[in-house]
Amino acid sequence: MAQDWKSFEPQLIPDIPNLQKIEVYEENGGYNALKKILNDQQEWSRDNVVNEVKQANIRGRGGAGFNAGLKWSFMPDPDGGPRYLACNGDESEPGTFKDRKIFEFNPHLFIEGALIAAYAMTIDTIYVYIRGEYISWVEQLQDAVDDAYEQGYLGENILGTDISIDLEITYGAGAYICGEETSMLESLEGKRGYPRVKPPFPAQKGLWGRPTTINNIETLANVPLVINNGADWYSDVGAEEHPGPVLYGISGHVNQPGVYEYPTGVPVLELINDVAGGIRGGKELKALIPGGSSTPVLRADQLEGVTMNSDSLKEAGSMMGTAGMVVMDEDTDMVDVLWRIAHFYHHESCGQCTPCREGTGWLEKVLLKIKNGNGEMKDLDLLLDVGNQMEGRTICALADAAVWPVRHTINRFRDEFEARCKKSSHAVA
Amino acid sequence: MPEVFIDGKRYEFEGKPMLLQFILDQGLEVPFFCYHPAMSIPANCRQCMVKVGTPVKDRETGEFEKDENGERKIRWFPNPQTSCSTPLQDGMVVHTQETSEEVARAQKDNLEFILVNHPLDCPICDQAGECPLQIQTYKYGPEGSRFEVKKVHKPKRVELGPRVTLDAERCINCTRCVRFTEEISGTNQLTIVQRGDDNYPQTAAGEEFDDPYSMNTVDICPVGALTSTDFRFKARVWEMNQTPSIDVTNGKGCNIDLWTRDNEVLRITPRENEEVNDYWMPDAGREAYKRFNENRVDRPSIKLDGNNQSNTSWNNAIETFAEVLEANNAEDILVIGSPHASVEENFAFNKFFNLLGSSNAKFIPHIIPGAGDDFLITDDQAPNTNGCRALNLDEVDSNSLQSAISGAKVVVILSDDLVGREILSATDLNDSYTICLTTNQTETTQASDLVIPITCVAEHAASYVNVDGRIQRSYPAKETKYTNRRLNLEMSEGRLDRFGTNFDNWVSEDNKVDCLPLWQFLNKLAERINLDFSYKHSRDVFDDIREQFEILSDISYERMDEENGVQLPIKQEEVKQA
Repeated sequence: MAQDWKSFEPQLIPDIPNLQKIEVYEENGGYNALKKILNDQQEWSRDNVVNEVKQANIRGRGGAGFNAGLKWSFMPDPDGGPRYLACNGDESEPGTFKDRKIFEFNPHLFIEGALIAAYAMTIDTIYVYIRGEYISWVEQLQDAVDDAYEQGYLGENILGTDISIDLEITYGAGAYICGEETSMLESLEGKRGYPRVKPPFPAQKGLWGRPTTINNIETLANVPLVINNGADWYSDVGAEEHPGPVLYGISGHVNQPGVYEYPTGVPVLELINDVAGGIRGGKELKALIPGGSSTPVLRADQLEGVTMNSDSLKEAGSMMGTAGMVVMDEDTDMVDVLWRIAHFYHHESCGQCTPCREGTGWLEKVLLKIKNGNGEMKDLDLLLDVGNQMEGRTICALADAAVWPVRHTINRFRDEFEARCKKSSHAVA
Repeated sequence: MPEVFIDGKRYEFEGKPMLLQFILDQGLEVPFFCYHPAMSIPANCRQCMVKVGTPVKDRETGEFEKDENGERKIRWFPNPQTSCSTPLQDGMVVHTQETSEEVARAQKDNLEFILVNHPLDCPICDQAGECPLQIQTYKYGPEGSRFEVKKVHKPKRVELGPRVTLDAERCINCTRCVRFTEEISGTNQLTIVQRGDDNYPQTAAGEEFDDPYSMNTVDICPVGALTSTDFRFKARVWEMNQTPSIDVTNGKGCNIDLWTRDNEVLRITPRENEEVNDYWMPDAGREAYKRFNENRVDRPSIKLDGNNQSNTSWNNAIETFAEVLEANNAEDILVIGSPHASVEENFAFNKFFNLLGSSNAKFIPHIIPGAGDDFLITDDQAPNTNGCRALNLDEVDSNSLQSAISGAKVVVILSDDLVGREILSATDLNDSYTICLTTNQTETTQASDLVIPITCVAEHAASYVNVDGRIQRSYPAKETKYTNRRLNLEMSEGRLDRFGTNFDNWVSEDNKVDCLPLWQFLNKLAERINLDFSYKHSRDVFDDIREQFEILSDISYERMDEENGVQLPIKQEEVKQA
């Protein structure tokens, strides 16, 4: 980790006015990475591009943190049939709101990244999936896409080469599950958003049964940085095993919530205090959800020395997720917080798999009982047990995402839950 | 050959079977709900979980790696896997609920989940007695429930369509019904609406579930969520007798079960036969149960004066029939067989009149072009057109039949509503003495001078040749006035037959039709006119057929039973015409 993270110059959302306009983007070196590749396809063969991205070790920014280049290499050799790149912009996990920054302020960076990915994997159709409620993002991205078509970056014979790539924006009807990659494919195909059983994986059998790679918007926005500056430059940025710039979405009880771009590996407490302006009202920090609502909550006393990268957070007992940090101050009622999170997952379970369909509702109802002061001590063990029954037994990870907050919030703030349950047991005692 | 170890036993396999189906094929059991062998695998009920491991192979040599005991090293999947969606691999090791506590617990946990929002209304639920959820819960489920908060209440008594009613509360979202309309019937009329524990199957707004195969979803629903509107609350499975039979409403001859109670057919469900109908049947075939109970020709009837028919005794009917035969020359008698009647009936009928000297029976196929589909509904509206052809009956059209009738003094019609299906008009029969041997009241029986009640497919053992040339048979499911369930070894035995006392009478006399098998009636008639014609059983009739017709020479009831019907060497061109 470079010591001077504070002086890091933003790469994904640099402070350049009107960067969403194609001419401004071009003036500032935009589409140079694409030109670099297409003008020297011998040097930048498809395999070389994949290897460069693999070597840079861009870890997927959608939450799973898988090496993007490695994922690209899973695509089978072209057989003449259609192949797809599906870009996941269905940003809807509580606490996560980073891709919007790219759509709003630097859409061409993402388009350029997607084009490079499509080139590298011999793909001629890119789909961008955006949650339907966020119609303004769709419009903003569409404007950028139209400009890119006009300037010859998209469409037939890109920049005079024999390469043709189309990009289409699709928007969903607003279901959290459609952010799950295979569910997104179902939705893109016009069906109800149900996750698919894996295997087969999307690289073998994705959209309409054809090879498909699914990447997060921010992940793809990182690709031009790698091509422009080289894999070595990129992997030197931030934490060793989890390099690159990251959009930190900081929300909750901080003075300056927002999306901030810094390298990975920034100490969590510095992000809260120096970047987000510290805790609102001068209060004490109580808890942090580091990467979206599904990542395990950490107590303030667990955060000393923890930095924002997969390894450090794993060691602390949580995950990097989407780097959507939810900060909670000393007045936060963890029972209420957990109930609200459980309510979300109950509401958003697609209902396909039994443990998730029935378990999320059960968790929420028991938590509501505790929240309303009717809980019993045995309910805490019941919650943990029901969670164990759900975890790892469903097609997708939504059940796991619903369970982890329950397990870790109860374990890490058990006294609060017990106090609430004791309160209600007076009637019996 | 590749091998797999299930609960410590070694099995060999070929091809790429899925684990659950392979387990079931070995006669072993793993509980499941959403899996159906004829449809895609969604793996959504999560019930069929097992513990799975694969042997570790040395990357360089390809040899199995061994542990310190010399046993193969196994890499276990971290979580239990759904066996329905797990393809078998060479050397795979599987532990089911029989040998793994972890698996038994996982299955128990899953059943606990399924039951949290499922109403525990088994005593009033129509599915009780044939509910996989009830059975699996009893075998593998938890002993109680820890769910002490409020259940979700989803819609009840939703009429999805004209024939299917939904109780969404009971739905466990296995999506079998949705997949049926997508993958089998192809109408796509159902989908899942809502999310999470609120979801249930539904049609698009303003649309109804009128798929011609809609009731198959009732059969495959693993709980009582989808019920037959017609059959709901009529009977319990354990009160009924289940008899295998053949659908006679069209030419496909779907294999079915007739469900009877108190000598009435209350329900018809498909019986699995990969060669004919797989697991399915059209809704129209299910509604045929009514014709077995209602509007039956009960006792012979005779036209005395004008057009008034009145019931008469069997003796009088036989006497009248005999007198008509004696009063006319054999060449003046026109006999009309029927694609709606069995092979045995057509044969016995034709043989009887051949013995008298009449020429071969004529028959008119009952084919409505365009009425069929590419699935189980055929243009052919009769179950035995190819049976009539196999017996070399004289296939004629409407015009030639009408001219034949104009030259006949006596017309004998077997089980075919020629007037109702507009082959003839009632006036065409005015100039001849018309005798009709049939099962139900029709326009043809109204126009007949003598009507003889004969047994229907639900009352006799008989065979039928379907549009594809497959001969299959029925069994008696209903008693007549002259049969007895306990004495007739062909009849199925239900729970009440087996466990009722001698004083229990499960069959009301009112529900027994006063009719005879055709061959039995012809026996009596032959006796009266001193004709050498006598059968003791429909098997005897079939034995006779085998001797006379090469195409049926190696067919027997036993073979039909063992092979679930036998394909006859009928040319495909002929099949197409049917």
